[in-house]
Amino acid sequence: MAAGVQQLAKPKTRLGKRLAPYLLIMPGGLWLLVFFLIPIVFMLSVSLQTGNLEGGFAQTWHFHRYIEVFQQYRPQMVRSFAFGTIATAITLLFGYPLAYWIAFHGGRHKTTFLFLLLLPFFVSFVIRTLAWQFILADDGIVFGTLKSWHILPAVISGIAYNFLPFMALPLYVSLERIDRRVVEAASDLYANKKDVFLRVIFPLSIPGVFAGILLTFVPAVGDYVNASILGGTNTTMIGNIIQLEFLQNFHYPVAAALSFILMGILLIGIFIYARVLGASSIEEYV
Amino acid sequence: MPDVDVRLEGVTKRFGEVKAVDDLHLEIQQGEFFSLLGPSGCGKTTTLRMIGGFEEPSAGGISLGGGDVTNLPPYRRNVNTVFQSYALFPHLSIFENIAFGLRRKKVDRSEVQRRVKESLDLVDLPGFDTRKPTQLSGGQQQRVALARALVNRPRLLLLDEPLGALDLKLRKQMQLELKRIQQEVGITFLYVTHDQEEAMTMSNRLAVMRHGRIEQLDVPERMYESPATEFVAGFLGASNLLEGQILDRSSELANVGVAGGSTVRVPTARLDGQGPTVKVGVRPEKIKLEADEGDPPAGWNSVSGTLRVSTFVGVSHQYTVNGPADSTLTVYAQNLGAEPAPREGERVRLLWRPEHTFVVQPSAPLAEWEEEQ
Amino acid sequence: MSDYPDPRVPMDPALLRGLTQRRLSRRDALKYAGVGAGSLGLAAFLSACGVKGQAKASPTPSTFDFTKIYGDGTPAGVLNFANWEAYIDVDSKGNSPSLKEFTKETGIKVNYKTVINDNDPFLAKIIPVLQAGQDTGYDLIVITNGGGIERLIRLGYLTPLDHKYLPNWDANADPKTKNPVYDPGNKYTVTWQSGFTGIGYNSKVIKTPPTSFKDLLNPAYKGKVGMFSNNQDLPCPALASLGIDPNKATPDQWRQAAAPITQAKDAGIIRSFYDQSYINALENGDTVITQAWSGDVFIAAASKDFGGDGFPEMKFVFPQEGPIYWHDNMAIPLHAQHPVDAITYMNFVYQPNIAGMMADFIWYVTPVPAAKDYVLNTLKDPTVANSPLIFPSADDLAHAWQYKAFKNTQEEDDWNSVWQPVYSS
Repeated sequence: MAAGVQQLAKPKTRLGKRLAPYLLIMPGGLWLLVFFLIPIVFMLSVSLQTGNLEGGFAQTWHFHRYIEVFQQYRPQMVRSFAFGTIATAITLLFGYPLAYWIAFHGGRHKTTFLFLLLLPFFVSFVIRTLAWQFILADDGIVFGTLKSWHILPAVISGIAYNFLPFMALPLYVSLERIDRRVVEAASDLYANKKDVFLRVIFPLSIPGVFAGILLTFVPAVGDYVNASILGGTNTTMIGNIIQLEFLQNFHYPVAAALSFILMGILLIGIFIYARVLGASSIEEYV
Repeated sequence: MPDVDVRLEGVTKRFGEVKAVDDLHLEIQQGEFFSLLGPSGCGKTTTLRMIGGFEEPSAGGISLGGGDVTNLPPYRRNVNTVFQSYALFPHLSIFENIAFGLRRKKVDRSEVQRRVKESLDLVDLPGFDTRKPTQLSGGQQQRVALARALVNRPRLLLLDEPLGALDLKLRKQMQLELKRIQQEVGITFLYVTHDQEEAMTMSNRLAVMRHGRIEQLDVPERMYESPATEFVAGFLGASNLLEGQILDRSSELANVGVAGGSTVRVPTARLDGQGPTVKVGVRPEKIKLEADEGDPPAGWNSVSGTLRVSTFVGVSHQYTVNGPADSTLTVYAQNLGAEPAPREGERVRLLWRPEHTFVVQPSAPLAEWEEEQ
Repeated sequence: MSDYPDPRVPMDPALLRGLTQRRLSRRDALKYAGVGAGSLGLAAFLSACGVKGQAKASPTPSTFDFTKIYGDGTPAGVLNFANWEAYIDVDSKGNSPSLKEFTKETGIKVNYKTVINDNDPFLAKIIPVLQAGQDTGYDLIVITNGGGIERLIRLGYLTPLDHKYLPNWDANADPKTKNPVYDPGNKYTVTWQSGFTGIGYNSKVIKTPPTSFKDLLNPAYKGKVGMFSNNQDLPCPALASLGIDPNKATPDQWRQAAAPITQAKDAGIIRSFYDQSYINALENGDTVITQAWSGDVFIAAASKDFGGDGFPEMKFVFPQEGPIYWHDNMAIPLHAQHPVDAITYMNFVYQPNIAGMMADFIWYVTPVPAAKDYVLNTLKDPTVANSPLIFPSADDLAHAWQYKAFKNTQEEDDWNSVWQPVYSS
């Protein structure tokens, strides 16, 4: 009897348990569906339409558009990736020592330094970039001379500046997480400062480097504010083109197709990058 | 007289206002297993870290094998450390973890191979070389940490509570293992712990520290049998302490009158520099408990009381007795099964040999922040 | 108007202006706000994308019965007015004296909203609504010619104007703004304010005043030349400098005019193609000569206590081949709820005193030349009244060219395919 009662009672609790994960994921899933998946499918459909604002757009499955727009805007596409790569490298170069210093030498004032790092983020992206316009001006206070030597291409510097915290914060977190005793152990085992860094600290911070590069590179490639505010001739990025096609020319299909090309290349790139560097390096610590 | 391996002379370490280590003098001999024992915050770990080079002394000097190392960075000292948390490199295989020090010293490849294998054998982990630290149990990680340090054949091995994170059974096993390894490799071990039993089991000599100073330094047996201070007596095992007045110190055994009217005899030599009020003590296992009937046997110290609690532990009985002047005395009696155990509430007599009586310097009671764990 | 209190009497005019006239206003806010407006546009775009094609029911004035729109001409008492930032007179409390006066005279309450940051994003917002046959929520909008207003006219999304309600316009509007190429017969629009695209330069650096748009290509100014990055202010001066009317040029002439600009870009003569930030580049020394809008240069040159930027060395010249004369236009969107109130307001602002009140604050070109007398004699502001940038002479306007008016989307796309590679590469 008792066994029978138990058998009856069991499926009931199991059902609830089995449903729980789905119930928990539902709000997030719905949100993604409504605000991400549906618009994406919609934009995909738009990218394959033909027409204009006045005549209306019709679904023509014009796949060839992807090739057309890519060819038309290849220089801007290539430039975006080049700028994004260089800017990401610069943020890494500046962000790493910064994060390292805060994590290892920040002492009691770590939070203050982190706050200072984030302080510019309390100001709008555009205003920050406008401030750079002033700094970078030929008669500007700091960089006027540097710029005239052509060692400070404004757009790349602007992107690097704007995305620095995206790089520095994950780096900081990964460096901060390193067990100080492990660092001591390395130096105990005859590693000088250089070896301690190269053999222990840097390898252990790779998850942060991975995340930082990802968080910086993706928005940097798609950025258009820096190019439009700080740019000169031949600095237009693909983001500017998408904006132009969408808001000025009302060429919705072209803008949509460009967005998808950009997204596609980024996704493939990230996938490869994650396979090569990310997964293996992250797995090790979990 | 063996060579002195480590010498600390007047070493002091201040953190702001606090003196973590206060004018410490210490000599550790070649091949010795030496323990620093003490409660939390006593300065034992700081002392070890100064020897390892992770902290710089505020004053004083440290020499290793005769050479001054006071201001050398860790990587220039022929000393290796086994950390409490093991501090294995999570991104490296077990092999690379152990080979780390050898590689930094640019040891020949085949030699590295050979020595790593050797030390994996030494710590009983053959074939673990390709695994990652996270794939190992705590005990195994502990052995790797040991191998990683020993493979470098340092002059001195520092161990910072290396067994603290292990469960009791594993800890006991590792204690023996450590001792075996130390005897095998013949390297000087400086062992830091707050576990008195661990320290006594393994050490050739040990020092009990408190408040940045050494309270007592001796071989384990002598330290246990005649603790110099109330603190050491309490920290190293259980002890019964009674306060009394020296009544007569003319013969070899002095008479000390304790509260409640009893007289306790103590070897007079142990009263040097003490008095007239002293604290005398006796270890619980030294006491014989019997019914309080007739006269106590001659040649024994005797104190009467009432048995409050009797606890059966298996190998022994543990008795708590209300002694004279509200004192509480503990007695461990081996479970010989020869005599019937006394009952709770009975009047009992505690007997022990005068030579088992020790005399201690009074100490301040243990503060709450000193309690470990 | 005698009982109307001069809005600036209680305060020193300069102080008032310093408090209220913000340079980071109309033109500065444009594209950056457009950045944010992008998402807005997207939302509207998405919401209306289900609508395929669109109703070609553009009502034409000739065949249309105005009474269906304007009834007997009785205002409803409400006007929803969408305008640009800082594009109306404002007193120290942030209210507009001219709007107050309007309400006082007509009893029409005005909901004044500065929701337009840039033409295209705003159009991207309202076109899908109009496409769906719905009311935009605005009775009156201000849109620039040269793309935006033409598109709305072509799409048939504007309400025809019944000129019997516009006697002030008939009497006072500058003939130069009447019957424009983009809206023959002013069937749908009347001018709100106008401006010039000419040449701005730094007279500290450039001692010989430039005379032609061609001077922008002078290698002597290498790396210090600014040009506009839009499809009117860059192409029209280029065509004008060759003596070609932008509205009559052939596609071959477009390419002919674009070629020297591309060359100058590749030779490094042009520093950058700017949006409204060109004026900052001129002020901070990035450029010394630039294509420029008249009002901006007036503000840049005006002293700080007058409400300007305090760069007296900044000068504006009308090129000898003629400046580009552009117009922001008032129009009533289709399906507007209060067309009578809107057209009443259109007529209202064509009174010289009202126009003067606004011109003295806005510093662009008013379509009411008679306002000059009001600014000079009643408001006693000779700096504004005597500036050719605000009250241009007949000579200044003699050779003025209009923005290119596109006949259809195809022509606009063709035009863009020539010019966009020049300024956005």
